[in-house]
Amino acid sequence: MSEIKTPGVDGPLFKRALLGSLSWLSANHEEVNRLNVFPVPDGDTGTNMLLTLQSAVEDIKESDAAEVSKIAKLASHGSLMGARGNSGVILSQIFRGFARTVEGKSSLSPAELAKAFEEAANAAYRAVNKPTEGTILTVAREAGRSASAAASSPGATVPSVIAAAAAGARAAVLKTPSQLQILRDAGVVDAGGFGLQIILEGMLKTVEESESSLAALAASRPVALPAASQVAVDLPEGGWGYCTEFLIEGTNLDLDRIKNQIEALGNSVLVVGEPELVKVHVHTDDPTRVITLAGGHGKLLKLNVGDMSTQHRRILEGASQAAGAPRSNGVGVVAVVAGNGLVEIFRGLGVDAIVEGGQTMNPSTQDMLTAIESVPYEEVVLLPNNKNVILAAKQVLGLTKKYVHVIETHSVPQGVAAVVAFRGDRSGAENIAAMKAEAERVQTIEVTHAVRDTRSNGLKVKKGDVIGLINDKLEFAGTDYGEVVNKALSKLGADSYELVTVYRGEGASDDELQKLESDIRSTHPGLEIEVQQGGQQHYPFILSVE
Amino acid sequence: MKRSFAVVADSTADLPDAWGDRYDIQVIPLKVMFGEESFRDGVDMNNEQFFARLATATKLPTTSAPSPGDFAELYTRLAKDHDGCISIHIARSLSATAEAARVGAQSVEGFQVEVVDSETVSMPMAFLCRAAAECSTLVEAVAAVRKRIPNSRVLALLDTLRYVEMGGRVSRAQAMIGTMLDLKPLLLMIDGEIKSIDRVRTRSRAIPRMVEFFENDSPIDYVGVVHAQAADEAEQIANDLRRRLPGVEVPVGQIGCVLGTHVGPKALGLVYIKK
Repeated sequence: MSEIKTPGVDGPLFKRALLGSLSWLSANHEEVNRLNVFPVPDGDTGTNMLLTLQSAVEDIKESDAAEVSKIAKLASHGSLMGARGNSGVILSQIFRGFARTVEGKSSLSPAELAKAFEEAANAAYRAVNKPTEGTILTVAREAGRSASAAASSPGATVPSVIAAAAAGARAAVLKTPSQLQILRDAGVVDAGGFGLQIILEGMLKTVEESESSLAALAASRPVALPAASQVAVDLPEGGWGYCTEFLIEGTNLDLDRIKNQIEALGNSVLVVGEPELVKVHVHTDDPTRVITLAGGHGKLLKLNVGDMSTQHRRILEGASQAAGAPRSNGVGVVAVVAGNGLVEIFRGLGVDAIVEGGQTMNPSTQDMLTAIESVPYEEVVLLPNNKNVILAAKQVLGLTKKYVHVIETHSVPQGVAAVVAFRGDRSGAENIAAMKAEAERVQTIEVTHAVRDTRSNGLKVKKGDVIGLINDKLEFAGTDYGEVVNKALSKLGADSYELVTVYRGEGASDDELQKLESDIRSTHPGLEIEVQQGGQQHYPFILSVE
Repeated sequence: MKRSFAVVADSTADLPDAWGDRYDIQVIPLKVMFGEESFRDGVDMNNEQFFARLATATKLPTTSAPSPGDFAELYTRLAKDHDGCISIHIARSLSATAEAARVGAQSVEGFQVEVVDSETVSMPMAFLCRAAAECSTLVEAVAAVRKRIPNSRVLALLDTLRYVEMGGRVSRAQAMIGTMLDLKPLLLMIDGEIKSIDRVRTRSRAIPRMVEFFENDSPIDYVGVVHAQAADEAEQIANDLRRRLPGVEVPVGQIGCVLGTHVGPKALGLVYIKK
């Protein structure tokens, strides 16, 4: 610590910087959430980025690594596992690019740091199929450019480079509405870009503070870096463990041995039962390992993994019992679904594991990975059932030894259509082809209320209006469910369809449901209508037209 | 050449209208019961009457096989001008009819009855009867029928699983149907067993699937279409098959009261015997 005057970014500093980012994003993520392009209750970008960053930090908070490369690698891995939503996935790619660039380095000079920022942005561009300007990608790139410019000026320091990156990000965020029509229409800046700006600002705050405190400390006595535990960060209460429960069915099960093994992987361990059937409960950070270990003792039943940090996500044991016949093709199905009714529907159709999540609570890559590992098949079809989940779902591909296919279902109706087409006696490839074809055939109408005034897709929408989306696109606004749904059905050309399935959400009353049914019937008498209790939040009605 | 043996089917064979006379096939009715009221399938109650009554019934009807006495009576009558009989019946896995035939035959002395478990249901039985009727001896007829039994297929599209489930013949699990969504099962009867081959949401998607499955299962000796109150769709399928298979007779038959009890209205069947 002799170089206090021009310190580089070493492991401990980078770790503190990330904890600072987390703390700052935690304080500001609601503001990011409010920057919603569409007036629909959408996947919350701020929350997704926060949860992704939490997962990045989760992996590093126990590390005392001196090298920046090690911390960066842990952050990259953790963010990838915890990636939620599109912005979260892109953030994880930024960490990945950063980690690759700093590989093997123990400390970064201001110039190396700037280069790492630039390469991080490049990696993020490469990770996206069709990069769009005016998004987090642009903001990452501008932050990198600005950092490089600052690094090449004489007297550049780590804080000056980070300050330049944050300033570059801020300027880029302000420009996003001029690059994207939808932002301009909605009168907002890009949420993901703004989230990245906050992350850089949080880093800057930490680095500036530690610089001054280090200087002060250096003046009085030999420098002692604050330990991780002394850094104030708003961590969620109860940590980030998973409450994991299941039964093991087998013969001559050794309870003591199982208990010893499980105890090494978590706390609050409970192992009770008989040699033929054992119940296990554990709070663990690594449910996958617990499941793998327990699976070695016998058959797992009633598997339930709850993420205690969000208390939302559960991996439910699938409904192999509902699907009946044993699966001869060795292919499993995992679906992302929210809403009690919809969960039951997917289970009833024979889905092996369900990851709870969807529109407003996007599951993480880790959630989906855990579900995939819990399924007793080596080949698994994963159905994201929401456009905001697809990117995180695809990240699973590189993280498991299993052969995973992501069918890009954008909606619940597409997911249902895909599962209906699944057959246990058909090969994986044949199933994928059939499931894709069926998912593409079905049309989705989603009905909700505008969460604020906006203009979108040429429509003027007032807060509280009933709005109708056809296949993710906002098409109609009005004051009445029946009116909006009938317009959407007419636009689809309802006469060429046969069946409308109405998934009733939490917010729809009996009267509203009955009125919707009779409105559809009177305008489109040729359509058969089937009503299902979906129980989804935010969307009073989701309709499948086929 | 007039053959010397009789050919007997039961009412679940869904014999095309003209075939009884054309091939001289005797049909013994099973029974359908609405509460205490019993009707002989196709004799006391025709298909139209049955489905009209089913639509308003508060309790689903039940069905029963002919009694051994019914068979004994028929065989005794046939014994007068035939020297034997082949009696082809609904799969034992579904009905006690063949067993009743066997017991009934034992009480008719001096008359040879060959009772055959068709291991199938509906019009494939009619095809088996036709194959038997075209033979000149009973021995040949039995051989011709037994040879074709493993090749007979019933491809059924049910509009709902409710009826077949109530009858206890197929479970939701067997049909790959969950409890929530109203899925339409596509079932295949083969070797006396019912298997699910697909499940779909709409009829318009299901019908091409049936035809596709059939095409992949060709070539065939006999093919036909049966329906329960779905004459237009059945005719369309039959016309489609006639275009695909020029020169092949594609009869359309109506699903009778007893089978109708278990498959429900709007059921469709594409039935055939493979070469």
